[in-house]
Amino acid sequence: MNPYEEINERVDIVTIYHASGNEQHICEPWKMRYRGQEVVFTVLGMRHPTEKGKRMIHAFNMSDGVNDYRIEFDAERLTWTLVYIMGGEYV
Amino acid sequence: MYKDINKEKPMIMFIDLNSAFATAEQQAHPTLRGKPMGVTNRISKECCVIAASYEAKALGIKVGTRLSDARAICKDFVILETDAPKYHRVYQKLVAIMKDYSPKTRMKSIDEGIIDFHGMEPTLKGRSLVDIGYEIKQRVKDEIGDWMRINVGIAPNIFLAKQAAGWHKPDGLDVIDHRNLHEYYQDKKLTDLTGIAERNEARLNSYGIMNPLQFLAADEYMLKKRVFNSITGTYWYRRLRGYEIDDVDTKLGMIGRQWVLREPTHDDSLLRSYLSFLCETSGMKIRFRNVEARGVCVWASLRNGEFWQSKRMHKSSFYTNQEVYRRALELFNQRPSGADIQTMGIYCYGLEPSKKSQLSMFEDVAKAGDLTRAVDEINDFYGAFTVYSANTMAGKKVIKQKIPFGGTEYFELLLKTA
Repeated sequence: MNPYEEINERVDIVTIYHASGNEQHICEPWKMRYRGQEVVFTVLGMRHPTEKGKRMIHAFNMSDGVNDYRIEFDAERLTWTLVYIMGGEYV
Repeated sequence: MYKDINKEKPMIMFIDLNSAFATAEQQAHPTLRGKPMGVTNRISKECCVIAASYEAKALGIKVGTRLSDARAICKDFVILETDAPKYHRVYQKLVAIMKDYSPKTRMKSIDEGIIDFHGMEPTLKGRSLVDIGYEIKQRVKDEIGDWMRINVGIAPNIFLAKQAAGWHKPDGLDVIDHRNLHEYYQDKKLTDLTGIAERNEARLNSYGIMNPLQFLAADEYMLKKRVFNSITGTYWYRRLRGYEIDDVDTKLGMIGRQWVLREPTHDDSLLRSYLSFLCETSGMKIRFRNVEARGVCVWASLRNGEFWQSKRMHKSSFYTNQEVYRRALELFNQRPSGADIQTMGIYCYGLEPSKKSQLSMFEDVAKAGDLTRAVDEINDFYGAFTVYSANTMAGKKVIKQKIPFGGTEYFELLLKTA
């Protein structure tokens, strides 16, 4: 019944770190390679920190204009994980 | 006609985040923007919407609507589970923006805050509160997200400022003061006033007060001695006129947790496990607030519609999960035997400041305190409920930590469990 498909897989991410600008957009994932396909993000919906125990995780809600993606950066293990995809066809 | 109206310059700003959780999800998920959607604590066929987007509200889907009813109204209605860290981020950013304008800021709940500008005139540099209100609206869009919208209300007291914030939703900004108080009240119903629900409306109606203007015209003596038969009448008399009487911190009276069972049951081992979980979360809250309790109450509503409760005040105070559970279980065992329980809850009362820093003369008390501290440290490091009582196991599988809707006291605690 969830409107999204859970993935929870490590992915390749290209990130842009802006030298200035508002805090929300200072670090912005740009591209993702997932199962051999390249996804280019066009919108950063929201970024927020969260925790897994004492591990700091940065959660990014991104969109490529068709689907929404939640990707998470584990600041301790330096890994990117695609948590879920919310398909545009659901909405 | 209306006596004693407060003619003070409006210096209270009330900020209300529109459909907070739903709007935050639409901000995070661009594909949901402009669509009817809502959030709930745990998705199931019969779950309730705890926040609906404006698009959903326009279709008649509101807080408390069951998912099945919402889907009957709109088959494309999307529901998401709550995401506490996301809302906490929005909350933190909103608080930070508010604090840039006055140190006297207070959050009434996760999505409502008050800025008191009394004494801040020199820092305003001649700018009006309306200008500042529009600036805050823009900053919320720039710093939290372009889909985020707030209502701003400006008035001489908190009550009227909240009313002003709700005057033109969404994305409104209104001022209520002595000049337009009459105009504001004349379009409203009694139940549009915060604090007046059906029972108070019936009470007012029985004295011939049918609308807010008649409420405003009622004299203080009548409200105090007849309508409300208490000091509450005086409070309403002053509140309606723009005098501040709501700027008080409420005293922490009780700490607890309740749970609605999916299926009513009288299964003793299952119910004990649920009780154990409720006691563990209550114990965590007690220690989080740095207090100890002396009283405990256990209650349940039964399938047959009856309500049962048992409470006891103890001589000694307690704060460990084990002590909360031991005392609660004594009471729980007194429940009607064989009764199917639908909703159960526990709360601790008789709260007093924590004495944990004092050394105990009794070894077993000191050991229990050390054990609790050690478990809390492990759970703090690895996440809540990493270590928990074996009794709690079945309860932990089904009971989910809820988003605290009203207050913000336990947000930090909830984030550890998210």
